[in-house]
Amino acid sequence: MQWNKILKETIFLLGISLVSAFTVNFFSPAGIALVGQWDESMDVIAAEAKSNVFSGELEIKHVKIAKQIYDSEKAVFVDARSLENFDDGHIKGAESLPISQFDNLIEAFKKKYPTDTIIVTYCSGRTCDDSHRLEQLLFDNSYVNVSVFIDGYPGWKAEGYPIE
Amino acid sequence: MNNSLRNLFNNAWIEIALRWILGITFIYASYYKILSPTDFAKVVYGYNLFPEVLISLIAIILPFVELISGLSLLLGIYPRSAALIINGLLLAFIFILTINIIRGHEFDCGCFSTKKTGSPKLMVARDVIYLIMGLQVFLFNGVRKGCFIRLDRKI
Repeated sequence: MQWNKILKETIFLLGISLVSAFTVNFFSPAGIALVGQWDESMDVIAAEAKSNVFSGELEIKHVKIAKQIYDSEKAVFVDARSLENFDDGHIKGAESLPISQFDNLIEAFKKKYPTDTIIVTYCSGRTCDDSHRLEQLLFDNSYVNVSVFIDGYPGWKAEGYPIE
Repeated sequence: MNNSLRNLFNNAWIEIALRWILGITFIYASYYKILSPTDFAKVVYGYNLFPEVLISLIAIILPFVELISGLSLLLGIYPRSAALIINGLLLAFIFILTINIIRGHEFDCGCFSTKKTGSPKLMVARDVIYLIMGLQVFLFNGVRKGCFIRLDRKI
C-alpha cells in the first residue's frame, strides 16, 4: 500500500473540507459563531448564530420570579415543546404552541389572546432554545409582552410547582 | 483469511456497491447538519465529551468532512483515502457512543422537531457495519469500477 500517496490525498480531502466548511459557514445565514455559549450555569446553551436573535433582557432567569408572575394570574404561559411532551406534563394552565406547528396554530392563538397579552414562553430548560424562537415568532406576530422562562418545565417541576 | 472471504473482499462489484452506499449515506448524513449547524452543535454538546471551545468548530467542520468524503467515494476520486477518513470518523463515533453507553450518559434536550435517532446501542451496531464496509473499500486491491482514474493517478 502506498502510504505516502494516501497521506497526500487525505490531507487534500481534509483541506477541501476545511475550506468549504468555513466558507459556507461564513456566507450562510444559518452559519454560527466559532465559539458558542456552552455553560449551563451561565445561561441557555446555544451555538450563537451570527444573527443573534436572543435578547437577554427578556429572559426570566429565576424559577421563583416565574412563579410570582404565574401567581399574579396576569400572564399566559406558553409551552414551545412538542404536543407529545406537553401531554406528558406541563405547567398547569399553560397553552401548547409547538414551534414546529407554529404557522398552523398562530391564527387560532391570536383569536384567543390579543397581542397585548402578557406571555411567558418555556420549553425543556437551558439545553433548549425553542422558547426563545417562540418568543421571536410571537414578537414577529405583533405580541409585545413576551418573555422567556429559561429553566422551563424541568426547573418548574423540580420546585414542586403546579403541573398537570 | 480463507479464499472465499478474500475473493469477497476483492470483488470489484461489491467494492463499488459498498462505496456508493457509504458515499450516499455520508452525504445524506451531512445534509441536515449543514442546514442547521445550531442544532447539530447542540448534539455535539450533548455527548458531554468536548471542551467548550471545540463544540462549535466540530459542528462547522465535521459535516463537510462527511460531505467531501462521501462525494469522493461516490465519484471515485481518491476512494481509498476517503475510505480512510470515513473509517476514522466511524471509529471515533463508535468510541464516543460506547463511552456514553458505559457511563450511562444520555442526552435528550427535547427540542428537536425531527425524529429521535434510535438507541445508542443500535447506532454502535450500525456504525460497526459501516466500518466493515469501509474496510472493504479501503483494503480493496483490484481495479475499481466507476472511478476518475486519471485524477486518481495524479498524486
